[in-house]
Amino acid sequence: MTQTIRDDRRSRVLRWFGFRNASALWVLLAIFIIFSITIPRTFLSPRTWTSLLDAQAVVAIAAIGLVIPLAAGAFNLAVGAQVGVASIFIGWLLVNVGMPIPLAIGLTILFAAAIGLVTGLVIVRFRIDSFIATMGISSLLAATVTLISGGRQILGMPTELVDFGTGRVLGMTFPFLVMIALAFIVWYVLERTPLGRRIYATGGNPEAARLSGVKVGAIVVGSLVACGVLTGIAGIIVTSRLGNADPTIGPAYLLPAFTAAFLGSTQFRGGRFNVWGTVLSVYVLAAGVKGLQLSGAPTWIPDAFNGLALLVAVGLASSVRIAGRPSLLDRLRSRRSAAATEESVPEGSDAGADAEKSPVDSGAKS
Amino acid sequence: MSDVLLDVREVTKTFPGNRALDAVSLTVRRGEIVALLGHNGSGKSTLVKVLSGNYSHDSGEIVLGSEHAPAGIHFIHQNLGLIPSLTVIENLDLGTRPPSGGLAPFNHAREKQRVQKLIADFGVDIDPDARISTLTPAEQTIVAIVRAFDGWSAGDNVLVLDEPTAALHGEEVITLQNAVRSVAAKGAGVVYISHRLGEVVELADRVIVLKDGKVVAERARGHFDQSHLVQIIAGGEIPRDVAQRESTIGAVQLEVRGLVAPALRGVDFVAHAGEILGISGLVGSGMEHLNAAIFGSITPQAGSVRVGGAAITPGSPPASIARGIGFVPADRRTLGSVGTLAARENITLPRLSTLREPWGAVNRSRERAEVNEWMTRVHVHPAGFPEQRFDLFSGGNQQKIVLAKWLRLTPRVLLLDEPTQGVDAGAQAEIYELLVEAASAGAAVVVSSSDTKELSAICDRVLVMRDGRVAEEFARDTLTESALVRAVVDDGPGPTIEGTR
Repeated sequence: MTQTIRDDRRSRVLRWFGFRNASALWVLLAIFIIFSITIPRTFLSPRTWTSLLDAQAVVAIAAIGLVIPLAAGAFNLAVGAQVGVASIFIGWLLVNVGMPIPLAIGLTILFAAAIGLVTGLVIVRFRIDSFIATMGISSLLAATVTLISGGRQILGMPTELVDFGTGRVLGMTFPFLVMIALAFIVWYVLERTPLGRRIYATGGNPEAARLSGVKVGAIVVGSLVACGVLTGIAGIIVTSRLGNADPTIGPAYLLPAFTAAFLGSTQFRGGRFNVWGTVLSVYVLAAGVKGLQLSGAPTWIPDAFNGLALLVAVGLASSVRIAGRPSLLDRLRSRRSAAATEESVPEGSDAGADAEKSPVDSGAKS
Repeated sequence: MSDVLLDVREVTKTFPGNRALDAVSLTVRRGEIVALLGHNGSGKSTLVKVLSGNYSHDSGEIVLGSEHAPAGIHFIHQNLGLIPSLTVIENLDLGTRPPSGGLAPFNHAREKQRVQKLIADFGVDIDPDARISTLTPAEQTIVAIVRAFDGWSAGDNVLVLDEPTAALHGEEVITLQNAVRSVAAKGAGVVYISHRLGEVVELADRVIVLKDGKVVAERARGHFDQSHLVQIIAGGEIPRDVAQRESTIGAVQLEVRGLVAPALRGVDFVAHAGEILGISGLVGSGMEHLNAAIFGSITPQAGSVRVGGAAITPGSPPASIARGIGFVPADRRTLGSVGTLAARENITLPRLSTLREPWGAVNRSRERAEVNEWMTRVHVHPAGFPEQRFDLFSGGNQQKIVLAKWLRLTPRVLLLDEPTQGVDAGAQAEIYELLVEAASAGAAVVVSSSDTKELSAICDRVLVMRDGRVAEEFARDTLTESALVRAVVDDGPGPTIEGTR
């Protein structure tokens, strides 16, 4: 018994670094090697990397926020608009209303949470599909942005806020550190607590989760509130980094956040939306784009790179059937005898040399 | 000899630990309606799957028609395979129109006329432009038959109907029977599978009874009647292998009073600590919804449920779980489990509070130890894969994991729907042992099952449901499988069965 567990654990570690489980790590390595050879002077400079880490912090926070409702089985197409509305809202509170910074931050996060609450209630109470509901909410938020800002930038943020947005500790900017802290919290809740377990159960099979005593509606609403809080923080950081509030900024975060979350779901956790896979994906994509830009690639290349990376990664993952499924090769190998044994053998348990034996045996007989 | 459209010769099919079909032979002739009877687990559905090519048989031969005039074979399953949001014509076209340039427009008026005529052949009047979802179940079944017909090429055909009337009642059954007769009158062979013996006596030219994978009787029309068939199907006494136990029946643990829900019209009963109580009945009698209504998976409209004397909030699974009720639904894939989560996560999902550290995290080493222990206790073979995704386990193992999930809570009341459906014989016996263990530990175990053999083998008492109410009760000393089968099926197609799915 303990022997099996130990073997299981060892093969888990080995599999962790495999291409199947962590393809993004390998892609990152490839990107690093290629650009280190072709453009070593610019690509390897520390400045490139610190600015990369900093510049992507907002995308990463929005993507982490998005992971929560996705894990609970709800789409949130309003993440971009939520970042945008928070960015404008805090600008308006600080400049137009003249509120002190801590109060403005608190109110903005509260406002962002309220947006999530409304979204969640619309989905759960009125039983509107999350895809449609958040599309509607997104449009309403876009209207709110224009209403508050009149379509113009809000200039003249207090210097303290700008200092926060650009300040550094140990070479790392505050936004990056905030992102890492948030990633830790969300990771901890999703992966380590009963609440996280219930979120994944809800996303995996809401009906079965309900019959296991999970309050599915509350989980969905809560996940959207949490997402609201994170996008709120992302919006505050956008404004603090720019030094002004820009009404056009929001929608641009939608696609990168989704790309990272989906790409991230193919990493580490076998098909589950997860925090570290998402954060890694944000930076792999950004590193690739950065390298291409530094190489002098034409301006349409970054978008093409992001799109292709998503399609290839998700396509590969579903064709290999991640998540403990046997690889294509394994499946072909055991197909011969699958029909005869489908009733009683756990088909292709990944680490299952034991399970593997019996289909082969009976295959030889037939 | 060319009269024989379907000739099954000595077909054998073995699953690990279970011979599902044992040298089964049968023939179906032109214009003949052959009824295939037998209990759950008798091999009927395996035979259908072998005929349809879903399973390959180990030995034997299946011949359709003759060499120079091969016959086609068509299946009408319980799930008719129609698209509810499309109209009758659209559904027919999906199945049959050869896409000779899928963009060529078709003449709607002519098509409508053609379909109307096809349907009229079956003695019914269905608007070809009606959506499938607006039709009655009988009409839908007839559309499925018409579609099968429409796809028939010239030549001979065999139609296999698998429980076509399970969801029908009263006049609908008669409408469908007439349609089946006209199929045979057109020269096709019909294989008709049904639990309802009254129907079969009316309809069949010949009956074939399967039992434990063998053909045990074959009778031509005029040589069987209903009571006769009951006798053959129920047969002799099945040895009670699990049943040799001393049940110590305790106080009333579960009390259900006046429970009204879809398909339930006022159910009253009690179950005692240490007792295994069976719920039997035909599909549509309410037996398949009773446990769900008690647990709160569907919300009851009226009535009360008490556990250990205290009333529970109706329609609330969390409240039921808190009061000590566990529920193993019939469909373990869509209702009983989260397929994408590991076995470990499924087992601990209903109660994580006992594993929680003061700082909020799940104690994972304790969780693993506990899950490993449970997976060994419920005999998941091979052991040692608590991290494997639930949906990658075999049917028997899945069911054991779902059981472990509830047994871990030491429930006061354990409700199970069809606990051994799609489970191999070995796992079946192990599941029975677990139920007996749970009862011995003081739980009231309520097993709702269409498998009368199972119920008569493991239960201390069985309630037979009819028309949404408890109609009959068998105590241990009067409980035999044949008596139970008689009570369940002898009833015939009741005209007032309501609220089927």
